[in-house]
Amino acid sequence: MDVKTWKHFDFVLMLAVLGILGFGLAGINSATMAQQSSAAISWDSPVIRQTIYVALGLSLMLVVAGTDYQSYNNFAAVIYAASILSLLAVFIAGLEAHGARRWIDLGFIQVQPSEVAKVGTILALAKFFSDREGRCGEFKVMLASISIAVLPALLVYIQPDLGSAVLFPIIWLGMAIMAGVRVVYIGLLMSLSVLSLPAVYVLLLAPYMQDRLATFVDPTRDPLGSGYNIIQSEIGVGSGGLLGKGLLNGTQSRLQFLRVQNTDFIFSVLGEELGFIGAIVLFSLFMVLLFRSLRSAMISRDSFGRLIATGVVVLIISQVFINVGVNVRLLPVTGIPLPLVSSGGTSLMATLIALGMVQSIAMRHEKPKF
Amino acid sequence: MSFFSRSKRWKVRRTKKVSPEAVLRNKFLFFHGVIVLSFMILAAQLWRMQIVEGSRYLERADGNRIRRVTIPSNRGIVYDRNGAPLVQNVPSFAAAAVVGDIPITESEQVITLLASILSMQPSDVEQKIKSAQSEGRVYSPTIIKSNLNDRLAMILRERGSELPGVKVLVQPQRNYIGGNSLSHMMGYVGSISQEEYGELKDNGYDFNDTIGKTGLELSYEKELRGEPGWEEIEVNARGLPLDTLAVNKPKDGFNLHLSIDLPLQKEMSRLLQEGTAGSDYAAAMAMDPNTGQVLGMTSIPSYNNNVFTTARNDGAIESLLGDPHLPLLNYAVSGRHPPGSVFKVITGTAALQEGIARPSTTITSTGSITVPNQYDSRITYIFRDWAALGAMNFYRGLAMSSDVYFYYLAGGFNDFIGLGAARLAGYARAYGLDKLTGIDLPDEIAGLVPDPEWKEAALKEPWLLGDTYHLGIGQGYAAVTPVEMLVAVSAIANGGDIVQPQLASEISDAGGQAKQPFTPKVRGRLPISQENINHVIEGMRQAVETPGATATTAYTKGMSTAGKTGSAEFGEISKRTGQLETHAWFIGFAPLNDPKIAVVVFAQRGSGSVIAAPIGGKIIEYYLSEGK
Repeated sequence: MDVKTWKHFDFVLMLAVLGILGFGLAGINSATMAQQSSAAISWDSPVIRQTIYVALGLSLMLVVAGTDYQSYNNFAAVIYAASILSLLAVFIAGLEAHGARRWIDLGFIQVQPSEVAKVGTILALAKFFSDREGRCGEFKVMLASISIAVLPALLVYIQPDLGSAVLFPIIWLGMAIMAGVRVVYIGLLMSLSVLSLPAVYVLLLAPYMQDRLATFVDPTRDPLGSGYNIIQSEIGVGSGGLLGKGLLNGTQSRLQFLRVQNTDFIFSVLGEELGFIGAIVLFSLFMVLLFRSLRSAMISRDSFGRLIATGVVVLIISQVFINVGVNVRLLPVTGIPLPLVSSGGTSLMATLIALGMVQSIAMRHEKPKF
Repeated sequence: MSFFSRSKRWKVRRTKKVSPEAVLRNKFLFFHGVIVLSFMILAAQLWRMQIVEGSRYLERADGNRIRRVTIPSNRGIVYDRNGAPLVQNVPSFAAAAVVGDIPITESEQVITLLASILSMQPSDVEQKIKSAQSEGRVYSPTIIKSNLNDRLAMILRERGSELPGVKVLVQPQRNYIGGNSLSHMMGYVGSISQEEYGELKDNGYDFNDTIGKTGLELSYEKELRGEPGWEEIEVNARGLPLDTLAVNKPKDGFNLHLSIDLPLQKEMSRLLQEGTAGSDYAAAMAMDPNTGQVLGMTSIPSYNNNVFTTARNDGAIESLLGDPHLPLLNYAVSGRHPPGSVFKVITGTAALQEGIARPSTTITSTGSITVPNQYDSRITYIFRDWAALGAMNFYRGLAMSSDVYFYYLAGGFNDFIGLGAARLAGYARAYGLDKLTGIDLPDEIAGLVPDPEWKEAALKEPWLLGDTYHLGIGQGYAAVTPVEMLVAVSAIANGGDIVQPQLASEISDAGGQAKQPFTPKVRGRLPISQENINHVIEGMRQAVETPGATATTAYTKGMSTAGKTGSAEFGEISKRTGQLETHAWFIGFAPLNDPKIAVVVFAQRGSGSVIAAPIGGKIIEYYLSEGK
């Protein structure tokens, strides 16, 4: 790795990442302040833990950025296989929380394999499509590429974690479009999915998922039970107004009317404390991050790099949209974190590593193609 | 079809038109579009929530955290005329549940534990919680059980962590300390009923409030209650209070100063209890005849009004409600009975005023008079006197309570022209015997003064001469309450003013500042000259002081007393004597030259001379010698 490549390091992207991470730390601090037994911040507090993850993740990001992404070409299959294995391991050694097995305890750290699998799947699809450049319009290529995404989706779905499972088809869709899968097939596939929705509701949705959907439609049917979080996050966001109540002054979070506020409902805390203006700033940072990542894809010297960057963009935009959508009552509760903001080590690391790959692609681009 | 397809077939056809670079560029355009659209959707929804409906959400957020808690006001104290308190406020503990603070998952354990601590059925506790829920009272306390003893209150507080949402409320409770004889007058407070709450919730009444139910507690509810305050506290999601945001201090209720003389009241109660052993119920009342200030008022059977505020003895309340002698009824104002011979005072003043009689008018009682039927002279009716009393002037007729004498005055006999029913009834009304006296107590009833029109309307029967005779001696259809008779005798004592009896003489605030000083209220004036009134007073004096007269049992040495007894038949035949049973009445006042006290005594079953007059005399004696 030579110094010249760092000349092309995307500082705008880096600044956007740092800005979003700052929002995240502020939000986690607000969200967990009330749970702290004392005012002093201990090593055990969520905000300190997140800060350590941020430091660790940023270092990993830089290491990945410094590595030529071409070298993953050889390991893509291995990484994918490893993430599939880790998903399987969840069923054997997984930790159970809220009725689902989603974590593996590695002793020093708890890993959420579904987060790893998202990146693994992006790499695998990128390699698969780029190896078949020019043949991606073929039907059998499309079928094979679908299976790459469906396998982890199924494993995540039976954890059960429907929200995360949905992300795999979305990643596939975005990358398939970029790779050149025929629009006719994609359209066909999508109409098939829409048609099968009732069957999916009956056959695939566990009672808890159906309950979530019903609660989404009418949270007041159980205002102190399953509808509670929806109602309270809506109140939290809405009561923020234009300027918000100020950091650490959000009553919904400070007085713990909001639960799981440092993960799924972190946006509600930010919306309450920073208001509409704060949310728009956060959105802008995300847009900068996404546009700069798309820029990486555009200037990539090969389709492997372009597909990786596209996959990362799709992964981030879909998670942001779903997470915020849940917080502002556009979507039913899914349990998807807000990338770079929500508390949670694996998601943060995976996202930062993915952004490191985006940097690596940008740093090694050739002259613009158009 | 689309701008980014790279299918071969498509390429063959369109190669020249769309280059691979252009396809790629379109794809990136698409992804940019998706990103922009996504954030626009989110931003639009945020705009709607935070800007358009932000204030509504802010209200809901405040509704989450801010709770308004009522601070009860101290109810006013009631004092007797000498400043002795008749009631006190003592703190009492109540177990209450804030339904919204009981976690759903723990609600069953909480209910079970709470029920076992309070020795209640879990279903009863659940019932109260459910009804609070259905009425939307989720974040205000619902009382599960009140009047907890200290031990239970302490247990509840100690186990608070196992009972989320359960609070121990400290409520002021009324403790009546003047004795049972005051129960009817004082009344009692109780939990506000559904109906009362519905009517009064806009006047600052709370669902858990107590309210005056009867007696003075009811008639002076507005003054005694004061104004409850509130504080706004900030709570967290578990309902734990964190901070006080605003306080509005309660205003204590006004104190009530009664004209009641507690020692006299107790003496009256004792005299009535001991003197009317053969009666199922009785009442006595004493008043300043000039001002209407009530000095004492007692009704038996009496009861302990504390059973209503402590609510510990549910059995006690049941037995009070089931008692056939209606101990909860205040017979002084809510019982109506024929007045008997005490009514002769009214007939007498009417006859004098109308010129029917003069003090010297002499009538001879041979023990009865006989009148023929108006339509068939072969049928005759005999109207008896209680004895053959011989020739009597007006004073003696009244003192001996001769029925024949008053038959003459009321209905006439042979050449003697009587008042007639209409005129007599008119005077009775002038005394207020058909109206409420306006005493400051609830549930007063008015008496009945019959006349021909009334009988025609109510009974569809014509008025007979005999009805006039009966009215003249207070028998037949006439019925009065003791307090009405007291007002009547007071009018004689004070020279003709119909005063309004009042228990409360002054209302003061907690600092002792007078808010509403007492003013006597005169509701009317007798159309009778002072001279004629004096003649009646002379008759009443002789009734007490002439040996052998009817009210001598009320005589007290060294005291000039006017009195009149009554023994009113009420239709029951005595098992002992085989004669008609009578109610005992006495009305009187003293001293004659400057009346200070007027009394009425009524006892179911008994003779006026034997039962009522002695009690009346002793009440007067006690009062006038008190403190001397």
